[in-house]
Amino acid sequence: MTPALGKSLLRLFTVQGSYDYERMQGIGVGVAEEPLLRDLRAAANGGGGGAAYRAAVARSAHFFNAHPYLCGLAVGAAARAEHEGVPPAQVERLRAALCGPLGSLGDRLVWAGWLPLMSALALIGVALGGGWRAIIGFLALYNAGHVALRWWALRAGWAHGMGVAAALHQPVLQRAAALSGPAMALAVGAALPLAAQYLSGAFTGWSRGAVAVVAAGGFALLWWRRGKLTALRLGLALLAVAALAAGLWR
Amino acid sequence: MSLETLLLLLAWGTLVGLDLVSVPQVMIARPIVAGPVAGAILGDPWTGFALGVLFELFQYDVLPVGAARYPEYGPATVAAVSAAHAAGGGGGGGEALGIGLGALVGLVTGMMGGTSMHLVRRLNARATHAANERLEAGDARVLVRLHLAGILRDATRAALVTAFGLGLGQLARALVVGALTVRGVTLLDVAAVSAGIAAGAAGTLRLVGRGPGLRWFAAGVVGGAAVAWLR
Repeated sequence: MTPALGKSLLRLFTVQGSYDYERMQGIGVGVAEEPLLRDLRAAANGGGGGAAYRAAVARSAHFFNAHPYLCGLAVGAAARAEHEGVPPAQVERLRAALCGPLGSLGDRLVWAGWLPLMSALALIGVALGGGWRAIIGFLALYNAGHVALRWWALRAGWAHGMGVAAALHQPVLQRAAALSGPAMALAVGAALPLAAQYLSGAFTGWSRGAVAVVAAGGFALLWWRRGKLTALRLGLALLAVAALAAGLWR
Repeated sequence: MSLETLLLLLAWGTLVGLDLVSVPQVMIARPIVAGPVAGAILGDPWTGFALGVLFELFQYDVLPVGAARYPEYGPATVAAVSAAHAAGGGGGGGEALGIGLGALVGLVTGMMGGTSMHLVRRLNARATHAANERLEAGDARVLVRLHLAGILRDATRAALVTAFGLGLGQLARALVVGALTVRGVTLLDVAAVSAGIAAGAAGTLRLVGRGPGLRWFAAGVVGGAAVAWLR
């Protein structure tokens, strides 16, 4: 790993630190890309100022929005393209073209796959009495995948430059995306009854039956009113009703 | 609760809040991690595990894609554990008495957290606007400064949300605990646990959809139920 790639990787862990609704991750991506652009400054110094470096830095901080773990792919690819003297408009088009695929792949692979899968395994571990081992296992396993993905993305982008689309068609990535969905569904499916049993362990008699009925009703409401009713609102509403009932039923 | 414990909880809640979006997204922000650590700080890990499991189920309702707005359950779980512990704590194996009160405090704090993230993003946009000219000139120092200011803003936000949650927990304990009968506590607990289970099931089904994943989900539910029944 070159020092510049190492610095860029470290900065990628903060890529959403200055997230806003206009440039989205743009500023964070610019900060992560900057170490990879410093060679341009050195090269330009021999032949007339840091204009190329400054122009590349400015471009790197423009609008960008993708999955944070895969931003490195765009960072590496755009930096490589700047080194190869690709016209600015083409670099901008590359960044814009990568937003959608990186967002979609990362959402499927991580937010809807790897993360809920690991979280479900942690829930199962805690429910079965694994305690701290389940938590430490979750952090270790999840982050092994997380850090590997960030590192792979940066390296692939830096290696491929403008041809970075090829990296996204790697069979391993495609297979991981295809497998993570069913694995997540199986694990979360198994975690739900175990978590329910773990949480309702203290309930006896009527309260156990009440949990089953209210949970089924709550699920039906969330499903029927999906997109409108959130779990947070349902939770607050149920707690308000429970507090009212507690006042009346003494 | 001693001042030292309170400060430790505040520091943990701040780290957890910072982890969710800004730095470094290693998922200490997940309730299943944030809860037990908060419990350990309080010397009551079982309450931490119980609230961690409960809010992890709520977390399944959240898919953080694009610029979506969603509640923030990390600092919320820290506040929830603190409130539940103050209200009676846990007996082991998830038998936390104050789980309902903890959930109430946590859900309100989660809502505050979500709103505060939206505000910070607007402040970040304003700061970026102000620096637009120098950014377009390729000034790397301005770029880095802007980024660091964003991280600092998020850390401050996370600290304020955690402080709000911890304060709310103390207030709720003072107002609610003495006023509730055992039946009332049980009702709150039932509401909290039911909402968590409903959130987990509905959130996961939304992710899974009606495709082949649904069969895997059903197989998981059957397997998990069998293990739960056999235990």
